[in-house]
Amino acid sequence: MKLTKQEIQFIDHYLIKNEVKYWDVRLELLDHIVSAVETKISNDGISFNEALLEVHRGFGNQFVEFGVSKDKIFEKGLYQSNIGFKKFIKQKQKEIGRKHRKTYWKTFLPFISSIRFFIELLVLTIVTLIAYQYSIKVGLFVAMSGIIITEFTKLFYGGLKKFKTKSLNMQLAISSSLLLTQMPYWLIMLFNWHYEGLEMKPYYILFILFALLFVFSRHSLNNFIKIYNTYNERYQLLTT
Amino acid sequence: MSNSKLYKGSLTTIILKLLNEHDKMYGYEITQKVKALTKGELKITEGALYPALHKLEAEGLLDVEVAKVDNRLRKYYKLTETGTKETVNKLEELAEYIKTMQALVNPKLA
Repeated sequence: MKLTKQEIQFIDHYLIKNEVKYWDVRLELLDHIVSAVETKISNDGISFNEALLEVHRGFGNQFVEFGVSKDKIFEKGLYQSNIGFKKFIKQKQKEIGRKHRKTYWKTFLPFISSIRFFIELLVLTIVTLIAYQYSIKVGLFVAMSGIIITEFTKLFYGGLKKFKTKSLNMQLAISSSLLLTQMPYWLIMLFNWHYEGLEMKPYYILFILFALLFVFSRHSLNNFIKIYNTYNERYQLLTT
Repeated sequence: MSNSKLYKGSLTTIILKLLNEHDKMYGYEITQKVKALTKGELKITEGALYPALHKLEAEGLLDVEVAKVDNRLRKYYKLTETGTKETVNKLEELAEYIKTMQALVNPKLA
């Protein structure tokens, strides 16, 4: 027996109430729960409420019936514990992180050896050298801007619309951005502290560090774009 | 996951084997297929299935395809090229394990 649109919406709201707030996590749970409830109603001849409660427990959400009146069992049973869903999200988060890291390192060498990246790095180096002619500070600012622009692009697109902020995959894809945005500032602080009092500071060290940081940051943006496109496409499919 | 903890270590192999025989499958379909094939003997719980699927996906053995079915999105899992190769290895490992167990438990049959 197929569930009605209202019943499916009820399950979706029940998941949100149980703190499954990410739509990309919810879509898999929703499909599983709807399919399981439909089968249980058809095969076991039980009601929607009974079937949903059974599936809810199947996910490892505990429920203590003691002291709960029969007419309240459904309502209380669905919202008494969401420990199973919490475990589900936590485990998924761990695996998404693993997947992102694996993809990052797998695509690292092909990306940094691409002509496109070579041209980008060349342009940034030339602009930095031109800026360096004016002053060291301007040169450092230009070198830093490569990293800052890259990370802000991720943060901007990653947090612009609801679908991105409510997606676990998107959140994890931008999780390192805040750290990377502040990194150049920390490096300058560390550099100044280390070479304090020195008349001719070895600024080339900072330029090298910024160049290295740009390599990692730019590749991270490349992976972010792929994740963004995948989840944007899925969200369009979900909402149309 | 099931009535017996003995199956636990073989869950990954079971999933890979099923996906090797079918082009693509979704989570609930896998639980039902296993239940049907084992005549209800083995029941994979949701709490065991999804961590295994997500782990296999993270390891690059499974790929995901999303399609709209009955007004909701369905996530299909399918084997990657590496996943297909790994299935062969896992099945060989399992066969070897069964053979060893057979020799231990019932030496006459081994």
